Amino acid sequence: MVISLKTISIYVHIPFCRKKCNYCSFYSLPDCDDGIKQQYTDALIRQIKAFETDSSIKSIYFGGGTPPVLGVKRLLAIFEEIKSSFSLAEDCEITLEVNPRSVTLDELIMLREAGFNRISMGMQSADDNELAVLGRTYTNAQYEYAMRSVSAAGFVNISTDIIFALPEQTKEGLVKTLITAINMNIPHISVYSLSIEGGTPFYYKRDSLCLPDEDTEDEMYYLLCDIMQKHGYMHYEISSFSREGYESRHNLHYWDCGEYIGFGAAAHSFYNGKRFSNIADVGTYIALADECFYSPTDFNTQPVLSDIEKAGERIMLGLRTSKGIKTDDELIRRSEKFINNGYAVIRDGILSLTDKGYRISNSIIAELLV
Amino acid sequence: MYDIKKIRNFSIIAHIDHGKSTLADRLLEYTNAVSSRDMAEQMLDNMDLERERGITIKARAVRFEYKAEDGGIYDFNLIDTPGHVDFGYEVSRSLTACEGALLIVDATQGIQAQTLANAYMALENDLEIIPVINKIDLASADIEMAKREIEDIIGIPADDAPCVSAKHGLNIKDVLEKVVRDVPYPKGDVSAPLKALIFDSYYDSYKGVIVYIRVFEGSISVGDNIKMMHTGAEFEVVETGTLSAFSTVQRKTLYAGEVGYFAASIKSIVHTEVGDTVTNADRPTDKALPGFKKAVPMVFSGIYPADGAKYGDLKDALEKLRLNDASFLFEPETSIALGFGFRCGFLGLLHMEVVEERLEREFNLDLITTAPSVIYELTLKNGNVIRIDNPSNYPQPDAIEVASEPIVKASIITPSGYVGSVMELCQDRRGLFLDMKYIDSDRAELHYELPLNEIIYDFFDALKSRSKGYASLDYEIIGYRPSKLVKLDILLNGDVVDALSFIVHADKCNTRARRIVEKLKDHIPRQMFEIPVQAAIGGKIIARETVKAMRKDVLAKCYGGDITRKKKLLEKQKEGKKRMRTLGTVEVPQEAFMAVLKLDDE
Repeated sequence: MVISLKTISIYVHIPFCRKKCNYCSFYSLPDCDDGIKQQYTDALIRQIKAFETDSSIKSIYFGGGTPPVLGVKRLLAIFEEIKSSFSLAEDCEITLEVNPRSVTLDELIMLREAGFNRISMGMQSADDNELAVLGRTYTNAQYEYAMRSVSAAGFVNISTDIIFALPEQTKEGLVKTLITAINMNIPHISVYSLSIEGGTPFYYKRDSLCLPDEDTEDEMYYLLCDIMQKHGYMHYEISSFSREGYESRHNLHYWDCGEYIGFGAAAHSFYNGKRFSNIADVGTYIALADECFYSPTDFNTQPVLSDIEKAGERIMLGLRTSKGIKTDDELIRRSEKFINNGYAVIRDGILSLTDKGYRISNSIIAELLV
Repeated sequence: MYDIKKIRNFSIIAHIDHGKSTLADRLLEYTNAVSSRDMAEQMLDNMDLERERGITIKARAVRFEYKAEDGGIYDFNLIDTPGHVDFGYEVSRSLTACEGALLIVDATQGIQAQTLANAYMALENDLEIIPVINKIDLASADIEMAKREIEDIIGIPADDAPCVSAKHGLNIKDVLEKVVRDVPYPKGDVSAPLKALIFDSYYDSYKGVIVYIRVFEGSISVGDNIKMMHTGAEFEVVETGTLSAFSTVQRKTLYAGEVGYFAASIKSIVHTEVGDTVTNADRPTDKALPGFKKAVPMVFSGIYPADGAKYGDLKDALEKLRLNDASFLFEPETSIALGFGFRCGFLGLLHMEVVEERLEREFNLDLITTAPSVIYELTLKNGNVIRIDNPSNYPQPDAIEVASEPIVKASIITPSGYVGSVMELCQDRRGLFLDMKYIDSDRAELHYELPLNEIIYDFFDALKSRSKGYASLDYEIIGYRPSKLVKLDILLNGDVVDALSFIVHADKCNTRARRIVEKLKDHIPRQMFEIPVQAAIGGKIIARETVKAMRKDVLAKCYGGDITRKKKLLEKQKEGKKRMRTLGTVEVPQEAFMAVLKLDDE
């Protein structure tokens, strides 16, 4: 018997939501009928059944979209299939993304009992006007209520997302949002600056959005880093802050170049040294799931990453987190100017980016890749 | 059968886009010199670049036969001409080889600046001009207007001018008949010593230089010893012949009046200069044909490979180009900023652009070009006189007694409506007004003395844009004149970038300095730290801009493990870096060097 020491993660993509937010460019379908949701659930279950691995599962992440929009019963059915198909590590982190108005307390209790142990609930802002601008369909009061339900259901490992540099946002507005989240004692907070992506409603009215200028955005960024640090959060990844022990194991696995398998339309995988993805179309995904193991066009034809690619990925992914990357003489020489300008530090032979460095991490990584 | 009375040598002259190449094609097609099947592309212009820019760079010639209505079979030699001011001399040599010229006028546009400039040149060469009205198939064609303009403005009768549609092959025969009747046959004594004009040449790797000639007197045969009267070089002819559309046709002898080629195992076109007279070495003619000028490069620029490792490739490419272009010179030079490259000399700015584009296109090279310069003549305090064609070699101001720059006499023909703005432009370029005369009620010819350094950047473009494309320019160097010149240095992050230095008149240095630093600021991407961009004269800063430090460049979210997107983005960024030149601590994209060359394009 071969005992595999490899652990992998599982990502399940649920591309359904109630309404697209004004900034969202991810693949997600608002307003889908129940028939399609059931077919999609069946297709997912078939794909999960068909996939065989002797690796144990380190983390599972249900993302979307808004996964509960699929229906909590269906989510549980998918989760049950995963549990029976794979061997989950004892401390497996199992995250579900939810929206404030997408789950009831009863449903949260059911999910908790089934084995989900981490909830990620997007907050974005604590200001009702800002929420309306973003196209979010809840108020801050509703958010706080939903967060109390999450705690009441027994979840301790909780994460939330905040977006800053919003149209007409002031520094005071950002501080209010941060303090609201901190006061709710949420141990993991991701903070993104708003980026206007092509094809989104924001993109089409980008010229009339009144976004903060670059100086203000810069000040907001350093302000939020400062506030988070003062309240005991570590800036452990480009966009993520956490209290000790509450880092997202699932995301860290990505940045550690760990392998994972993605189920569902548009889900990405990294498995047996190959990176590939499922087709980003629910209809085609459902049709494909009938006939074959696993979108074979992608899975079988993708090349295994070369050593050069692997080395590149280690730099690209490793520099996203405070764990950084191991240095050698060459790397030390090439990162000298980043260190001299306060963008990076080397500690105990590890190169990692500073708060200032995270802000322009693309440029730094691109240069180190050359 | 050689019969000088049946030879017709002619060119086609026209404004850009009036249909020169199309008419040439139709003439060849009509006389079966080429089949229409072979005619997929216009053949007279056979360089990509020419077709794209609508200009003809190197002259070519084609011989074809035409059976006329009078029953005679005529030998036609159609000689094509280059169409830009940089090549004015080559055009004049091509026209000298002819007795007549077809002057094409677009029936929808009438006479244009270039039509006029070309017509004057044809008249100066005593050519019989045959007006041809083209594009009569278009709804907006106004044949009467075109004829009236030809008569009023150029002053030649246009009453029975052929009216054609070159595009549709309409009335092509009228043109051919007109050539037979109106273009005089060449005059020349076959028994006199050889006297032939070189109007073009190119290098063939098997036969050596192929020389295009028009024989004026005598004859040239295989085995003859010949002599180039200006260069003095002597050769033995190994092949002669005529030129057909796709190839050459060998003949033992070319006689007075004929157009053709010869090969004589000539290793380099240095020996076969356009305008030189070929004669028989054993029985030379006593006088060379008039009008020879040595092609002298007037504009100099540094050309560097964008990727320093491609220096050898660039050298090979330059050597290959030089085989076919004697007017273009190059020698190695080194820049602190750009590394190893070449200082190259060109006839003018277009010539420079043509060479650069050919290097990039035909030889697949990425180049960085420095700002063009003229040759300055400096008398130093120690009495030495030096000539400088590279601004980085310009001495310190206190070492210079007198600095002189080349001056041209420019002749500009413009519709009267634009006289004001053309004068303003010349004024702005330090022009000295000489005179102006009205050619007719609509057109004026202005004469100015202008420093060459003011017209090598973008004068031609500015002239065109101020006259809606109608004005034409011709110029000749008339000498050197003392001037208040200064060397402007550009500093990036405090370090002088030698490749960006240039010479400018003291009165204009502030304006120019400001624009350059602005342009550079716009073209240098933000980097990890703030970069001062400064312009200085002898250490004194006279303009400054700042490229701010980069603020934000991050892909904050990698959704659901989608790493490929981020990877592609970073790969692209990495590729972008490769196209940058690191000057000291600053990374500068190629476009920044180009932008500095085009300061007046806004």
